[in-house]
Amino acid sequence: MADDAAKLDAACEAFKTYNWGTDKNALQPIDEAIVSTYGDATARSALEARLIAVLESDVSRDAKDYVCRALAVIGSIASVPSLSALLTKEEFSHMARFALERIPAGQAADALRTALATVSGDLKVGVLSSLGNRGDAASVTQITAALGDADPKVAAAAAAALGSIHTPEAAKALATAKPVAAAMPVVIDSRLACAEAFLAQGKMEDARAIYMLLAGESNPKLIRLAATRGIQTCLEQKR
Amino acid sequence: MNHGTSSTRREFLKTATGATATGIFAAPYIITSKALGDDTTPPASDRIVMGGIGIGNQGGGDQGAFLGRGDVQYVAVCDVRKKWRDGAKDRVNGHNKNSDCAAYNDFRELLARDDIDAVHIATPDHWHAIMVIEACRAGKDVYCQKPETLTLREGPLMIAAARRYSRIVSGGSQRVREDFNNLVGPCWNGELGAIKSVNVRDFGPLSQLCNLPAQETPADIDWEMWLGPAPWQPYNSGRCDGNFGTGGGSWRSYVDYSGGSLTDWGAHLFGGATFASDVCELQPTAAVFHKADGQLGAYVTLTYPNGLEIHHRRPDQLKPEGPQIDGGKIQIHGDGVKRDPKPAPSYKGGGGIHGDFIHCVKTREKPFRDIQLGVNTMAALHLLTIAYRLQRTVKWDAATQQFPGDEEAGRMIDRARRQPWFLS
Repeated sequence: MADDAAKLDAACEAFKTYNWGTDKNALQPIDEAIVSTYGDATARSALEARLIAVLESDVSRDAKDYVCRALAVIGSIASVPSLSALLTKEEFSHMARFALERIPAGQAADALRTALATVSGDLKVGVLSSLGNRGDAASVTQITAALGDADPKVAAAAAAALGSIHTPEAAKALATAKPVAAAMPVVIDSRLACAEAFLAQGKMEDARAIYMLLAGESNPKLIRLAATRGIQTCLEQKR
Repeated sequence: MNHGTSSTRREFLKTATGATATGIFAAPYIITSKALGDDTTPPASDRIVMGGIGIGNQGGGDQGAFLGRGDVQYVAVCDVRKKWRDGAKDRVNGHNKNSDCAAYNDFRELLARDDIDAVHIATPDHWHAIMVIEACRAGKDVYCQKPETLTLREGPLMIAAARRYSRIVSGGSQRVREDFNNLVGPCWNGELGAIKSVNVRDFGPLSQLCNLPAQETPADIDWEMWLGPAPWQPYNSGRCDGNFGTGGGSWRSYVDYSGGSLTDWGAHLFGGATFASDVCELQPTAAVFHKADGQLGAYVTLTYPNGLEIHHRRPDQLKPEGPQIDGGKIQIHGDGVKRDPKPAPSYKGGGGIHGDFIHCVKTREKPFRDIQLGVNTMAALHLLTIAYRLQRTVKWDAATQQFPGDEEAGRMIDRARRQPWFLS
């Protein structure tokens, strides 16, 4: 055990000089500690604390990248403040989400929602997608606002997030969305995703309502085909 | 023949060649012999119009297979490396004896073409899910190389897109049907009895983190697009080389782009094992991790709902007694109680797995390697990977696509994608 502790100390020290091209085996004790601390809350908290300290220090992008990967597996509420601070920074935002998206604690979703109000463009796309991937129903109102973004990537990401969340509120937001034209295919796709989710939940009428609207003549043939099949599925399941 | 667009190619050509054509067709209109077809080439209206995305080593092989078919009209290529892109375009033009092949850097431009019926995809694995889903949404049928997925979450989303838009989506493991015929026969004809266990012998490492040093990015690669949804890291030729190595020096070695040999060769071997033992429509219920014990190395057992066990690198000392077939990489044990034979599924149409795909594009039948089957194989491999990385047993619920009560394993179901890319 003393040997393991010494190896971990050395690994944490190695972060100071870790960068692309340096020896990644120097950090191997971190990966080993992730495995060995499973089921030991105290040891895992201690490991997390050491990783948070590295994240907050002046180490390379690659070193922070490595820490975020580790926190994706073992991160808890304790990691959220340090990770949130990186969400608005272009070179760190993705890897901060890499961890935050996987941390189940509600505070991780709170941090993403807070960032959503301040970021724009591609960073906003990233935060929206992470909220969608978390299935964060509490974000629906904020995500809905992003449907109207002038940036088609943001509007599309908002639509996709609502499709992933697929609550009745999300479906309603998608139904009334009037995004920029380039985002419309994702809006429609997400409406179909909501209908499928409702079907899976046994909510035939809610699913059918979506399909009936999308089966209309104004929609592209591919969408009408999908909607018609959906209506048929509703009828078959009703029998 | 772009299913789902407002007019089919057949409808268009019928109008163009009709004796009573009016309007824009009233003026003399030259129909080439190639368009009308001949003894070896169907008319244009019966040809599947295709494009290819990712035309490196494997993609080049797929391109060759489709290009060589008289019932395919190959019209476009896409690759983020100019050398591959230009080479692929030249190959098409040489075959078609014209200079009409379009070449794209951005796959979305290729998918936006209304004239393209189907695409084949052979990019690194981290791109597969996004491209397959976008292709389905664009009304294209898809042939996607294995490993079809990089994470567990991607599979159901790809299946959903295929079914939503009634697309033919085939995985690309030709070896499942072609390499293991010596196993398929005895298993499916009932000779071996009920299959009790399968062992897939070791075949190489998990993927690893890539920490190669930065190199100057060559002018001929769109590095941002090559990375796509993967974490940003600096260019290094060893990071993105398309050779088939998994021990370093190729993207197949690295965790951000691939599952390593475990998924790369695993897609073939576990695809073959699950097909031979007739569980390819199922996903495992657990990946049981067996720690190293003295002389016995660590190994993992996948358990299936019907009681079957598929082991990965089970030590020879633990091999059970009884009737077996040893196919080299794959050993299959049965109970020896003869059963009624079942016809083993196979390709529809001629020309191997590529021909099966084209046949199913025309007939709308499910292909031999329907995306669901590819995803099931990948789920098994991702469970193996997670068990090895965590060095413990994990239990899987295929119906909910979750690890019940296992938050740590649950974190490994997916990973955040680099903006502006996202799964939908």
